[in-house]
Amino acid sequence: MTTTAQQFLTDATAKAADLRHRAVIQSNMASYNAAVARGKARFADWQNARSRAAQIKWETINHLDRYLEQFERNVIASGGHVCWAETSADACEYILSLARRHRVHNVVKSKSMTTEEIHLNDALEATGIHVVETDLGEYICQIRGEPPYHIVTPVMHLTKEDIARDFHEKLGVPLTDSAEELTMIARRKLRQEFLSADMGITGGNFAVADTGMIAITENEGNARLSFSLPRIHVAIVGIEKLIPRVEDLALFWPLLSTSGTGQAITSYSSLIGGPRGDGEPDGPEEFHVILLDNGRTRLLADAEQRDALHCIRCGACLNACPVYQNIGGHTYATTYQGPIGSVITPHLRDAQEWSHLPYASSLCGACTDVCPVRIDLHHHLLHNRRNAVRRRFDHPLQRLAFHAWLWTMQSPARYRLAGKLGALVCRLGFKPPRDFPAPAQESFRDWWGKVGQASCLSNPERKTGKMPVLL
Amino acid sequence: MNAARENILDRVRAALRVPAHRPPDPTDAPIFLPVINSEQRFRDEFAILKGEVVTDLPAFLKEFPRIASDVPDLVPSNASVRDSDLGVTGCDCLIAQTGSIAVSTRSAGGRALSVLPPVHLVIARRDQIVPDLVTAMELLRCRYDKHWPSSLSLITGPSRTADIAKILVMGAHGPKRLAVYFVS
Amino acid sequence: MVKVLRRLNVAVDYPAAQTCCGQPAFNTGYWDEARTLAKRYGEVFAGYDAIVSPSGSCTAMVRNFYPELGTPPPPTYEFAEFLVRKLGVTDVGARFPAKVTYHDSCHALRELRLKDEPRQLLRKVKGLELVEMDKAETCCGFGGTFSVKFPMISYAMDEVKCQSIAATSAEYVVSGDSSCLMQIDGYLRRQNLPAKTISLAEVLAST
Repeated sequence: MTTTAQQFLTDATAKAADLRHRAVIQSNMASYNAAVARGKARFADWQNARSRAAQIKWETINHLDRYLEQFERNVIASGGHVCWAETSADACEYILSLARRHRVHNVVKSKSMTTEEIHLNDALEATGIHVVETDLGEYICQIRGEPPYHIVTPVMHLTKEDIARDFHEKLGVPLTDSAEELTMIARRKLRQEFLSADMGITGGNFAVADTGMIAITENEGNARLSFSLPRIHVAIVGIEKLIPRVEDLALFWPLLSTSGTGQAITSYSSLIGGPRGDGEPDGPEEFHVILLDNGRTRLLADAEQRDALHCIRCGACLNACPVYQNIGGHTYATTYQGPIGSVITPHLRDAQEWSHLPYASSLCGACTDVCPVRIDLHHHLLHNRRNAVRRRFDHPLQRLAFHAWLWTMQSPARYRLAGKLGALVCRLGFKPPRDFPAPAQESFRDWWGKVGQASCLSNPERKTGKMPVLL
Repeated sequence: MNAARENILDRVRAALRVPAHRPPDPTDAPIFLPVINSEQRFRDEFAILKGEVVTDLPAFLKEFPRIASDVPDLVPSNASVRDSDLGVTGCDCLIAQTGSIAVSTRSAGGRALSVLPPVHLVIARRDQIVPDLVTAMELLRCRYDKHWPSSLSLITGPSRTADIAKILVMGAHGPKRLAVYFVS
Repeated sequence: MVKVLRRLNVAVDYPAAQTCCGQPAFNTGYWDEARTLAKRYGEVFAGYDAIVSPSGSCTAMVRNFYPELGTPPPPTYEFAEFLVRKLGVTDVGARFPAKVTYHDSCHALRELRLKDEPRQLLRKVKGLELVEMDKAETCCGFGGTFSVKFPMISYAMDEVKCQSIAATSAEYVVSGDSSCLMQIDGYLRRQNLPAKTISLAEVLAST
């Protein structure tokens, strides 16, 4: 087992037993589920919306070169710059060199999982640049020195009291128990940051090919301020964020918001297509879009799992996942958490180091049911498991165990013997680590043999805890 | 940079030589419920979002000593965007389906005016109300194709957050209040 | 299960050569091993009009995943599915006077799309009162080797499930899959909770 896997096991054990954490998450999920149910009721045909979105993403991802080139052409035609970044380091280096050239000292950032992925803040701070997260949840994470807990709601795991304490200790403000007051404190502090920033860095929820625009979805307005006030705007998006036409947003905006928070559409759904235009009174002097690969072409090359790149980062699969609910986002220890994270991380990062994530699932399939773009999530977990075995990431003892198991299963006599041995071991008093019920006194097989084709007799013993019987 | 561009595009093209499974096609069934009475629907959605419909403009304006306005004929400007209590703009259209207001750098005096001041007032006409997002995007395409403004936003209610324990708070960074006044 | 089918005049056979559908190997990533058993299943069950299983997960393995292994699936049905969708029967003449709640096993629910069928059968059982638990569709946490590799997560999921069951005050929790019932039973017994586990087949066989 890799140390990453060991750490996962340790953290998962601790979190799964943390009843306070469990209660907070359960309560959050109940509100979320109610909101999403209301949101879906606004659709005449939610299933058709999913199918339509899946079709548009399939079209885009499977012709991605064409759409990337079209996007680039249109950004440049509007006066923007496009950087193609093969790795995290390339993306960070582009931003750092831009910052050096323009003597950038202060950066405001809006919420972007892509910037988390490339560890941008660390890179900026290492050169002495002051960077502040402006999304309230991300700002709280920054104050706490913690990564985001969830890709959409970064501090879902914290109570109001936790946050009040953090503000009091780290910002020196009086202790308050009002969410409104805490928000206003953040608003005041961050307003100064927006007004004095040299550069605004955002992500992008979508990259629109036919108009060369970045689409940003938010509720707070911090992204709008980040791309309006500073003199340079940098937007970084994974290459999979492409959609063909601006009209497609009439579907994707409500789809994303409904699955993400249950809202019909978020407070601000914006499009940015260049630096300040001719005759416009304000806006950045320069607009840069970074198209990030960082392992996405590896996932693209896996045709079986290519649809994982259709992901619109709504977070619905995280919310639906009973494993995520019990172990929380931090346990995954990687940027993308929950079911989508367990699918894509072995592709985006080292497959062997992260091979434990696809196994940390009971394969219940709730994720696949809620995905607004119909990614076959839980089946991809199976595919990742198969790939791990093929590449011999499995423990040799486990491999041996399954060879032995197969040998046993190939003969009904051996199968029966194994069943009897198990029952004998239990009768001898061996306590299995799990709470197994007592094996049945008589297996179905024996009962059938005695009764045979004769008429049914009622069997006094209840048969529980056996292998399922096939007729 | 160009080497990276070629590398990425080469990898994309190589990857796409193997076709991926195609999802089942959607049907022609409508995805959204039809919007019956656009104006009423807009007003209803807007109210749920805590948007305010102004009926008495002079009375409303009295509350705000410093106003930055892109509609000077109706509401005179006496402050800069950064120093104002109220930002006044026009809009491209209003969307009944979601209670949204579409603004652009052209229809709303730039980027900051509709997001920086603590209160945002939109001056609109009733005939700017369109039923749904699809129609709104068509309208924007029609109006701006070939020469898009550098930025557009669909504004749906005042700024809000629920990041703190899912408690809804208005005015996180953008305007705390959003109002619309219909001329005509 | 045999009793119920006999009551409905279905000719039932039990090929003694059967062993395992191969799901444990498949789910752990050992597809070659699983394929060997998939081929064996096809041979053991050749020639039957229908193969009925009390387990939603075995049925899903055969129907939905044998094609991924390249072995065409013989016509296999989950028990409730067979009764309601194939035989068109919801009343099997059963009697089970008790308050019960139903646990949707994940494979039956999401791989086989069975939700109403078990409930239609239960509603026709004389004396039975069916109550819905809040988290009927939430995974019990067994997941096969998942419960061995990640026992603490499995336990937490089990606990959430059992709390939802206890909140209904049902005397019995019913499900199709015996692995779910085993998982749930483990927690209920250890915590001395009053609810008991019972399979759908047993309920339907009761008179």
